[in-house]
Amino acid sequence: MRLTSLGLVRGLIGYAVGLLLGMAVVVVSRLLMGMSVWEAEAAWVGGIIFAVIGFLGGVGALSDWLKWTRGAETPLLHGPPADKPAWTRYFGVDYNHKVIGIQYGVTGMFLLLIGGSFALVFRAELADSGISFLQPGTYNTFLSMHAWVALAAILLGVGGMANYLVPLMIGAADMAFPRLNAFAYWINVPAILTLLLSMLFGWDSGWTAYPPLSLRGPVGYQLVFLSIFSIGLSSILGSLNIIVTMLMMRPKGMSLFRMPIFCWAILATSLIQLTATQLIGQAFLMLSFERTLGMPFFNPLYNAAGENIGGQPLLFQHLFWFYSHPAVYVFVLPGLGIISELLPVFSRKPLFGYRWVALSSLAIALVGFLVWGHHMFTSGYGEYLRVVFMISTLLVAVPTGVKFFSWLGTLWGGRLTFPTPMLFTLGAISVFLIGGLSGPILATTATDLFLHDTYFVVGHFHATIFGGFVFPFFAAIYYWYPKITGRMYDETMGKLHFWLMTPGFWLMSLAQMTAGTMGMRRRIADYDPALGVENVHLLVTIAGFVIAFSVLIMIYNLFTSAEIGATAGNNPWRSRSPEWQIPSPAPEHSYARPIAVVGEPYDYGLAGSKYIASMGAGDD
Amino acid sequence: MLKLPQSSTDRKHFVIVGALVLVVTILLGFALLAILPVKAQSSVQAEPIRWLFQLHIWLIAFLFALVSVFMFYALFVFRRRKHDTSEGEHFEGNTVLEILWTVVPLVLVVIFSFIGLQTLQQTTSGGDDIRVEAVGFQWAWTFNYPNGVTSAEMVLPVNKPALISLTSTDVIHSFWVAEWGPKQDLVPGMRTQLHVTPTEVGEYKLNCAELCGLTHWNMVATVRVVPEAEYTAWMEQKIAEQNIEVVSR
Ligand code: HEM
Ligand SMILES: [Cu+2]
Ligand SMILES: [Cu+2]
Repeated sequence: MRLTSLGLVRGLIGYAVGLLLGMAVVVVSRLLMGMSVWEAEAAWVGGIIFAVIGFLGGVGALSDWLKWTRGAETPLLHGPPADKPAWTRYFGVDYNHKVIGIQYGVTGMFLLLIGGSFALVFRAELADSGISFLQPGTYNTFLSMHAWVALAAILLGVGGMANYLVPLMIGAADMAFPRLNAFAYWINVPAILTLLLSMLFGWDSGWTAYPPLSLRGPVGYQLVFLSIFSIGLSSILGSLNIIVTMLMMRPKGMSLFRMPIFCWAILATSLIQLTATQLIGQAFLMLSFERTLGMPFFNPLYNAAGENIGGQPLLFQHLFWFYSHPAVYVFVLPGLGIISELLPVFSRKPLFGYRWVALSSLAIALVGFLVWGHHMFTSGYGEYLRVVFMISTLLVAVPTGVKFFSWLGTLWGGRLTFPTPMLFTLGAISVFLIGGLSGPILATTATDLFLHDTYFVVGHFHATIFGGFVFPFFAAIYYWYPKITGRMYDETMGKLHFWLMTPGFWLMSLAQMTAGTMGMRRRIADYDPALGVENVHLLVTIAGFVIAFSVLIMIYNLFTSAEIGATAGNNPWRSRSPEWQIPSPAPEHSYARPIAVVGEPYDYGLAGSKYIASMGAGDD
Repeated sequence: MLKLPQSSTDRKHFVIVGALVLVVTILLGFALLAILPVKAQSSVQAEPIRWLFQLHIWLIAFLFALVSVFMFYALFVFRRRKHDTSEGEHFEGNTVLEILWTVVPLVLVVIFSFIGLQTLQQTTSGGDDIRVEAVGFQWAWTFNYPNGVTSAEMVLPVNKPALISLTSTDVIHSFWVAEWGPKQDLVPGMRTQLHVTPTEVGEYKLNCAELCGLTHWNMVATVRVVPEAEYTAWMEQKIAEQNIEVVSR
């Protein structure tokens, strides 16, 4: 097998060629216009734009569409490539949603490890006061990279769950637009490459990239802007695909209120992604334009009379948070859906208040659009806005509460068992509770004026993101592992992972919040020992390393169990959901025959009830 | 040992859980107040912040207790026993409960909005007996007094309402003296302001709270709160040093 027969390798070559080509185009045009030949920033911008396109061309994500322009036939191929080992299909363009789901999920997991390692680096620096090994510039780069790499990891992880599970759960053969699906995955890869390349130059604004700071720093910024723009494009296209799939391809009998609850979470998530992502794409593009072309969107410029004839720094913050607040619900709604999905299975009871849980996802998504200004309480915008955004933010607590109470209702009176996925689900609830409850104290403006930009906020959002994404994501990995591989993970290692990670995380969150109230600012490379937070920081660092170690146990578990794990059988959890009624691992064509929905999804404990039936030939 | 009822709707469960919630709320409330010491306590504007923070803590303690006690109780009582192969009780929801736990939080939201509005007003208001301009730039501060005095440290008389006017010459910074409570960003091209009435004599650190580049962590200035007489003396000395003709104060 030749190496270049792997799409990924061809893509990387395309990236390198594109980079050089793009730089050459910039150099030549500058030459023609009589400017100095080499200007690093312009050259890199040109280079990266071509590199991303080069990658997509090389990997083959554009091939079918190009063939269409020539009117050529492009049949959908199924199964692993004929002349190559089966694993190679994961390293190239493949249209099967299960393959794409795994691609998303594994890439996401990989990024989570990279992003986590960045955090370990600067946590080690913060373990005591004084600058020991990380210089402030490098510190800022690691801090900023940690955030965007972790956020990319989450977006990909969400994409993985949605792509793998939604078509399976609604009994669809695949996604509505398989080629678009592959494209939406593959554009992430050059984007991530670009993001990592930005470390060559460094950048220092944190993930929020507030101008004017982000207009001044090194070229690394441009790579970040273009990278996030591409990842945003992936979000938009991916969510469009999911919405269409969910609305158009459900089987007979599956009304919206009979979908597995995870689908509702993904529907709400996708609506946010489809509508909000343009704002951050736009905002980062404007930053890029301002830097490259000198368009004054955000940086104030003064005329002789001292009047501002330039831009307005706060405009950026509005655009940024109009996406980035709803985005936090993109991170957590799928995870909350996983919690709602798994609790009934391990309680052997119906999901308490299905409709309320379903609609609360939509409510959170909608209210989530009205609250972005709570990130700007100290920014100096109009006084009255501080009140408006306080009230709208407090409102988010209502639908969030509905979810918690419904989960309790689901547990109550069940027959609970506690294998690893259930443990992580419960861990998720406990951690999300810490995160959610620390929200309203940030929503009332007076307290936020004190807490904003301190470690209290760091504690708050890590708890929401771990409770809303990381824990449920791990629960999902353990839970669907048998469906993906056909084998069981190792239960002892799974429990060890849980019992290291969960107390570790509780400790980390609380310690972060303590540091915050004691006056520890966020995003600082060093702190004054007079604050008295050194011990607290040491705790945070130790807890961080414990969490990281526990994740390594999971990785080891997943790798070894794929070889030696016990055969899982079709439905080890005795779930009613459609994907568990087919063989494990899920076959190439998931459902041999179309399914029909004949009952409620979560009627555990109701004798004789069925959720789905397989339609025989001629049933339709 | 206490024999727990099997049916999930038995009154006894709720009595036990209710009692546990009460106990856990109280323990947790005090524990949280102990591990979350609010540093803001040396200005008039810090008072409403502390007060509201503590109110929040008690609500948090209660809600945390409510959810976690119900959860752990359920995990214990409704765990599957050995050799039990039955399914859970079949109930799909309860509309009255759902409405209850939508409406009660809504009422809490209204109450907290009202309290939030009042505390906001208190923490962002005050007089302007003393006026100072603080200018932030990468990575230091200067302070300008209306009489023309310029200083690298900020000196304020104790118990006198001060209005600090803020601006930046390069990127966004944020003015924060943790002991005073609120912070306020400095935005290039804009002028923002912060009210503070320091109530305790002492030396404090003014920190930049908005990431502003390479040595953001070290963008510090000293702030001294001194008795009125000392303030006047300091000011006079500055005026003499800087050769300023005092027009008015
Ligand atoms: C649903 C899960 C939630 C997630 C994922 C989440 C995430 C975040 C994140 C990432 C930030 C920090 C942004 C930054 O400054 O860089 C943040 C800040 C904030 N969150 Fe949440 N949050 C959640 C729930 C809530 C809830 C329920 C509330 C209030 C009811 C809330 C209120 C706030 C406020 C007011 C801030 C601004 C704090 C500040 O910067 O000073 N959050 N949240
Ligand atoms: Cu937000
Ligand atoms: Cu600063």
